[in-house]
Order: sequence, then structure tokens, then C-alpha cells
Amino acid sequence: MRAEAQLCALGTMSPGLLRDVYITGTGAFLPGEPVGVEVMEDFIGRIGRRSSAVGRRALRWNGVETRHYALTPEGRPLHSNASMTAEATKAALEDAGLSVGDLGHLATATTQGDYIVPGHASAVHAELGAGPIEIASYQSVCASALMAAKGAWLQVRAGEAEVAAAAAGEFSSRWFRPEFYEGTSLVDAKGRARVEADFLRFTLSDGAGAVVMEPKPRPDGLSLKIDWIDLTSLAGRFDPCMWAGSTFADRADMKSAWSHAGPVAAHASGSIALVQDFELLKIVIRAWIGVWLEKVDQGRIVPDEVDHLLCHYSARSLREEIVSVLNSTAAMIPEEKWFSNLPTVGNIGAASIWVMLDAFMKSGRAKRGEKVLLIVPESGRAMVGFMMCEVV
Amino acid sequence: MADGSRIEQRGDDQVADTLRKLAVVFADFEQRLEATPLIRKLTRGRFELADYQLFLINLRQQVKDGALWMSRAASNVGEAHLELRSTLMRHAVTEHRDFRLLEADFVCSGGEVEVIRSAPKNVGSEALSAWMFHEASKPDPFGLLGAMFIIEGLGSIKAAPWGRLVKERLNLPDEAVRFLLYHGENDAEHMREFEEMLRMVLPDAAVAERIVMTAKVTARLYALQIEEIAA
Repeated sequence: MRAEAQLCALGTMSPGLLRDVYITGTGAFLPGEPVGVEVMEDFIGRIGRRSSAVGRRALRWNGVETRHYALTPEGRPLHSNASMTAEATKAALEDAGLSVGDLGHLATATTQGDYIVPGHASAVHAELGAGPIEIASYQSVCASALMAAKGAWLQVRAGEAEVAAAAAGEFSSRWFRPEFYEGTSLVDAKGRARVEADFLRFTLSDGAGAVVMEPKPRPDGLSLKIDWIDLTSLAGRFDPCMWAGSTFADRADMKSAWSHAGPVAAHASGSIALVQDFELLKIVIRAWIGVWLEKVDQGRIVPDEVDHLLCHYSARSLREEIVSVLNSTAAMIPEEKWFSNLPTVGNIGAASIWVMLDAFMKSGRAKRGEKVLLIVPESGRAMVGFMMCEVV
Repeated sequence: MADGSRIEQRGDDQVADTLRKLAVVFADFEQRLEATPLIRKLTRGRFELADYQLFLINLRQQVKDGALWMSRAASNVGEAHLELRSTLMRHAVTEHRDFRLLEADFVCSGGEVEVIRSAPKNVGSEALSAWMFHEASKPDPFGLLGAMFIIEGLGSIKAAPWGRLVKERLNLPDEAVRFLLYHGENDAEHMREFEEMLRMVLPDAAVAERIVMTAKVTARLYALQIEEIAA
């Protein structure tokens, strides 16, 4: 009591004033029809008109059977990133029994928005057609979904908003069209694309997902009470692992970034396309596992108490690599508790976790009182996020 | 019977707990190494032959000491843990000539053997070596299992990828990179053997704690050794 009074005297908010926050609605938007493995390359196109040398291997490695693209096979866009994100937000609001007019705070996440400037939240807000609201744009890679979620959660928790949405969208496929690679140093004299660039073309999908947060559970059906959201960035120790905006060789030197080189030179040097360093990825995976093991060690996560695990991962093979370490350190959550829709929708970057959560909530698996753990690792520059919820 | 299985369960739990804490220490260690000037140069493609030779020179002094502190540790393991003593002695025998391999790599890369043999330890190597011999001189120095986890983990996880990068960047033959390349073998085997060693000394809360603390100190001093290599 005295400690609390002191906190108030110092102008710090008493813990009693913070509200519990619930996810009262989830929504997903997947563009077009499901696209099968055998025709995926028709949608993203063929660099120098030749089939990719790594495409099939990448798809096998990723364990993806179908995915969605917001492009026609001719490369014509069916949607924008903003319009897909807005559709997912509307779906989540509708799921919560609310409408666009109820929204007070919109937090968006994406890897690459439709514009360079202004932020994705402005574009999504415009697509929603909502009146004046508060917005926040979070930009990174997959983990930006949880950055936005943490922002939205704290808004509601602190009493700054009654209805907040955390929404994420990706339109990666347009960045994988041949024109992003042709005529750049990412393609050799024989017209073959560098594997670090080409592999990603078969790794990412399009789509959007969203969750709605309120300070009370929904009157009917199941809500998810958010216990906590933790994000750990290890960027201080690593060079970029997955990036766009610099060449491979100079990625750690900010002065060499595309913004200094100018758009024409940057394109020629291969600085515009998205690339990934696979050697560094192996090290970053161990760093993610390290953060996970530390959370288990500190008791923040008790594996036995988790009923459902929704872990975002880009490739089935990565999951298999991780399982043996977790088993030997008593930090494994049994595989029967894992829920994933990776085989049918692929890796949708920041949108993945909400598309997965939406499928999970609609699968009928969630039961009151169960704990649901969401994990979103991001290779970008080594980050990992966790969100613990309870079904209520 | 019931008691026996309970003790076994407690042992398994503590082995898993200790392995988890050690894995956390190793993750932090690996990140510190990645951020050292020398390894940054290697991963950023700015590594030169002089860097590689400095790397070998600075590793050699500590590698030479490795089998020596392990022998000393073995000689301080009491009668109650003879199997662990045997394992440590076998390890020491396997590794006590490894520094010769480093010297051969150095010579093959164009260096003079006298240079690598006469080089002093750097600040980190001095601290690391002093720490290891100090710990190894204690009775039943089980904490050193933590040091082995760090140093062997480095050998089985980091050495081979570094070796491949060195070979590729400097266009060197295998014969000049054997120490790094050959260490990556038998990772799974090392891990199994390490678990067995842990089972020889656990469950014991104080020992488990000492193993983790020894791993932490060893990791910090090892990283200091790499940091000290002027790149």
C-alpha cells in the first residue's frame, strides 16, 4: 500500500489503473485462389525468362503446398498491401461484432508498404474509410506484427483506446517479379539469379491478418486475454540477415545504402531486391533458441502449461532442426500442441501470425482456461517476439 | 525401487536444466563472438591472410594449454568419480597435440613456425589460461564441465563454418585450414558424451550451479581473447 502511494506521488501510474486486455476478434484476408506449387512461378514470373534453378528445392524445404498471391499470372495487381490489410481489419472488427466506426487506434505492421512514405497505417486508414482515429505504423519483418500488437495492447491497457486493432499485411510477390532482378548484379552473365535472392522468391506469400483488442471479453464466444507480450532484438550483435536496401558486401555500412546511392545505381547494384544470408541465418536461429531457453529458465514460459503453440516459421525444415535442442533441455512443447497453417498459406511475413491465429480460433480447438503461446522470430536483424494469451 | 526411479528422474531433470542454462550461456557467447572485430571482418568479407595468421597465433597458446589444464583437472578428480577421470584423461590425450596442427596450418598459409611458437599470449588468453588452471587445481573440479561445453561447443559449432569462410575468402588449400575444418566433425557424438559426463556428477545443486558459472566466466574470457586479436 505504501509502495503504491509512493509510486503515485512520483507520478507513476499505479498497477491498479492498468486494464486487462482481450482479443475479441480475429480476421484474415487471403487474395485470389490458392495457388499450387507447380504454378507459383507463373505468378512471380521467370527472371530472364528461364525457370528458377532453386524454386523447387525452396518449396520442398519450406513444406508449402499452396499459397495466395495478390497478382495475376501477368503480374497485374488484384489488391494493394493497404487494401488487403484493411480487409483483414474489417473482418476482425466484424468477428468482434464491431464496425469500422468503433475503431479508436489502428496499429499496422508490414515489411514493405505500398509507398515509401508515408507509413502503412495511413494507407490502411484511408482504405478503411474510418473517421479521425489514432494510428501507428510499425515496420520491420515478421516480428513487426507483435510490435504493433504490443502498441495496441498498451493503448487499451492504459485506457487510451477502447477498441484497438493490430493489423499486418504483406504484398511480397510484386517484389519478386523479374524486373526487380534483371539488369542487376544479382543476375550473372548466364542469366541465373543469385540463390540468396532467388530462394526468398519461393518463400513468401501475400495476404493480411488482424486482431481487435478491447478492455473486456466479447459477450458471446471465446476471447483471448493477453497475459504479456515480450520482444527481444539482438540487432546490436548481428549484421542484417534478411534485408533490402543494400548490397551483400556493404550491408553493414549505412552510408552505402540505396538511399545514398540513388534509385538507379541502387537497382543496378542489386540493392533493391530482398535477400537473405543463409550462413548468418543458422547463427540467428541459435540466438532465437537462446532467447526461448532463457524465458523457460526464468519461468516466464513454463512449457508444460502451454496448451497451444502457434509458432511462425518459414520452413518446415527449420522446425525440425530446433526440436532436438528443445528436447534435450526440457524446453520442448510437444508437437501435438503445435498449430500451423504454413502448408496451405505459406509464410506471409508479418501477417502470418494473425492469419494463423484466425485459423486457430475458427478451428474449434481453443477451450476456456487454456494457454495459447504465439512466437514470431524475425531474421531481419535478429529479433524474436512472444505473446502469451489465455482463452476466456 | 520407487526411490531409485525418483532419484533418476531428479538426475534427468537437473541434466536438462543444466543443459538449458549452458545453451543460454553459449547463445550469448556466440553473439559476443560475432560482434568481435575479427569475426566481423570474416563474415563481412574483409578478412585477409594477415588476419588469419593472427587468429592462428592467438589460438595456439590457449589450445596448447587446453590438454594441460584438462590433465590437471583429471588428476584432481577423486576416487568416487573414476569414470569421469578416465574420460578427461582420454580427452586430454586426444587433444594434447592439436596445437601442432595449428602450427602446420600457419606454416602452410605462409607463416614461419618460429613466429607462432614464440608469440606471447594476448590479454584474454592470459586470463583464460590462468582461470582454467586455477579451477583445475581444485579438488573435484566439476565446474570445468561448463568450460568444456563452451570450448567444445565452439569447436563443433563454430570452427568448421569459420574454416570454410577462411578457405573461401583467402583461397587457401585444405591443408592450411585443417584445425578449423576438422573440428566440426562428430557434433552429435560430442553432445552425447557431454551429457554422459553431466550424469556422472549430477544431481547436485551446488555442482550444477558451479558448472554454469564456470561456463559463463570461460565464455567471457574466451570472447575477450578473440576481441584482443587486433583486426
